[in-house]
Amino acid sequence: MFRYTYNTLVYGREPISIGIERVALAGYDGVELVGEPADADLKEINAALSANGVVASSIVSIFTPERDIVSSTAGTRQKAIDYVKGNIDYAAVLGAEIVTFTPTACMKIVPESNLDQEWDWAIAAATELADYAGTAGVRLALEPWNRYETYLITRTVQALKFIDEVGSPNLAYMADTFHMSLEEADIAASITLAGARLGHVHLADSNRAAPGFGHLDFRPIISAIAATDYKGWISYELLPAAGDVWGVLDGPGAPEFKGPYTEAAINHTKAIVSELGLD
Amino acid sequence: MTNVIGNEVGLSTFVLASPFTDNDAASFDRVADMGYDLIEVCIEDPSLLSANWIAEQASRTGLAVSICGAFGPGRDISAADAETREGALHYLKTCVDFAATVGSPHVAGPMYAVTGGPPMRDEAQRVEKRSRAALGLGLVADYAAGLGVRLAIEPLNRFETDLVNTVEQGLELCGLIDRKNVGLLIDTFHMNIEEKNIGDAVRAAGDLVFHVQVSENDRGTPGSGHIPWEQFFLSLQDIGYGGPLVVESFLPTVQEIARAVSLWRPVAASMDELAIDGLAFVRSSLQPSQD
Repeated sequence: MFRYTYNTLVYGREPISIGIERVALAGYDGVELVGEPADADLKEINAALSANGVVASSIVSIFTPERDIVSSTAGTRQKAIDYVKGNIDYAAVLGAEIVTFTPTACMKIVPESNLDQEWDWAIAAATELADYAGTAGVRLALEPWNRYETYLITRTVQALKFIDEVGSPNLAYMADTFHMSLEEADIAASITLAGARLGHVHLADSNRAAPGFGHLDFRPIISAIAATDYKGWISYELLPAAGDVWGVLDGPGAPEFKGPYTEAAINHTKAIVSELGLD
Repeated sequence: MTNVIGNEVGLSTFVLASPFTDNDAASFDRVADMGYDLIEVCIEDPSLLSANWIAEQASRTGLAVSICGAFGPGRDISAADAETREGALHYLKTCVDFAATVGSPHVAGPMYAVTGGPPMRDEAQRVEKRSRAALGLGLVADYAAGLGVRLAIEPLNRFETDLVNTVEQGLELCGLIDRKNVGLLIDTFHMNIEEKNIGDAVRAAGDLVFHVQVSENDRGTPGSGHIPWEQFFLSLQDIGYGGPLVVESFLPTVQEIARAVSLWRPVAASMDELAIDGLAFVRSSLQPSQD
């Protein structure tokens, strides 16, 4: 019933065609791509996708300090909006359905302005971007991050308030079980609360490894996702056990996240889907 | 089945006031009135606290005391430069003196490095840093042994340190230090993020669990989130843990603390409620089972 995709961010600097082939061989339907359209070779990606019989599912936006939707510098806020528009264009040209969205720079944990002002900037940006996405036939998915990666929207209830305030069908809620394992009292209950607003899913275990390699019980989580009548992608954003993820990916890399976790992740979820009789 | 009995249950001063000072006598009364056995005093600024005052307050209110360190900028026993290491050594010895005076069995905390320090991109660099930590903490341990005090080293999650994240890495560091009075402080908040199986991690540490902090997955009231508590308390039984359990959270209203632990929102209706409900939860979890 679910469609599966794997986030290639963790493959680091490996050529994308190798990653796409690995994901396809492991049985996924799609590939989640990093939102760096300026560095992407569309021809290479499209050739690899069609050669391996998979599609581009979604684009993961990378919010650096230069792409901060709520920066106190107007120019930076504009750059962030332009960056997300670029990812929406990128998604549209690849046929991907989802672009992820978080309105702060990743790892920025102290507000620059007051929180009400930042919330207003974020709402205005999301409203503009949701319109833009709608025209392109793409949806934005708002992802709360854990307390060490952001301060503005860390929890489902905040994300839902934000989504309801924007009030666009093109802005959905996104669940990432690693972040939720830090911030939510009951992950499944939070997904249920999101209900029809659920638009994208990142599964990762409590330690950000493949499901099954940490201590989360994914049965109630999968069950809650299915109960929302979810038609989107099940993706896996797995990342090394470091605060400085980029340092690991640029340096020694994360070999277990290639073959072993790529295969283990989808198999783990499919076993639960089958156990729960959801297939 | 044997049960964990007689454990003291404590509350961290981080829930009450920060920095904790000699003006916070009323905190001892609050903690005692709530029904706690112990207060965990965090030595944020030693110049604002005196050991004799803590001992007096403890004896006045009938509370036991646990001493824990805070490792902000500058307090880095594994720093590359000798002056910084010397400063951290001096601070840790001061904490040991506090522990000896107030009757705390240990000095606890992530004493191997500055908390939230810059990441190390190079494994060789990390190995060197760990060696310097072991060397420095060996000196602290020897000083502490002379005063009958133990060191309880706390692994922190990946976002707060890249030196010791898991119990396994904590045991490695204990091995490098190689002193009988060195063990671990385990904290359920960090374990939730880093351990593949929390119960297995506790059992792996075994007798080297010197101290325990309980905190929910979101730093809220223990029992209100998704930490596998039953598994955790069973594993404490398995290792026959008889030491204290301290309820820890942080005041989101204190800017420095909010920044240090990335906690920007209240995690309970009030800190008093967290302390009272947390105590009730820990006590009920420690109850002898019926079978």
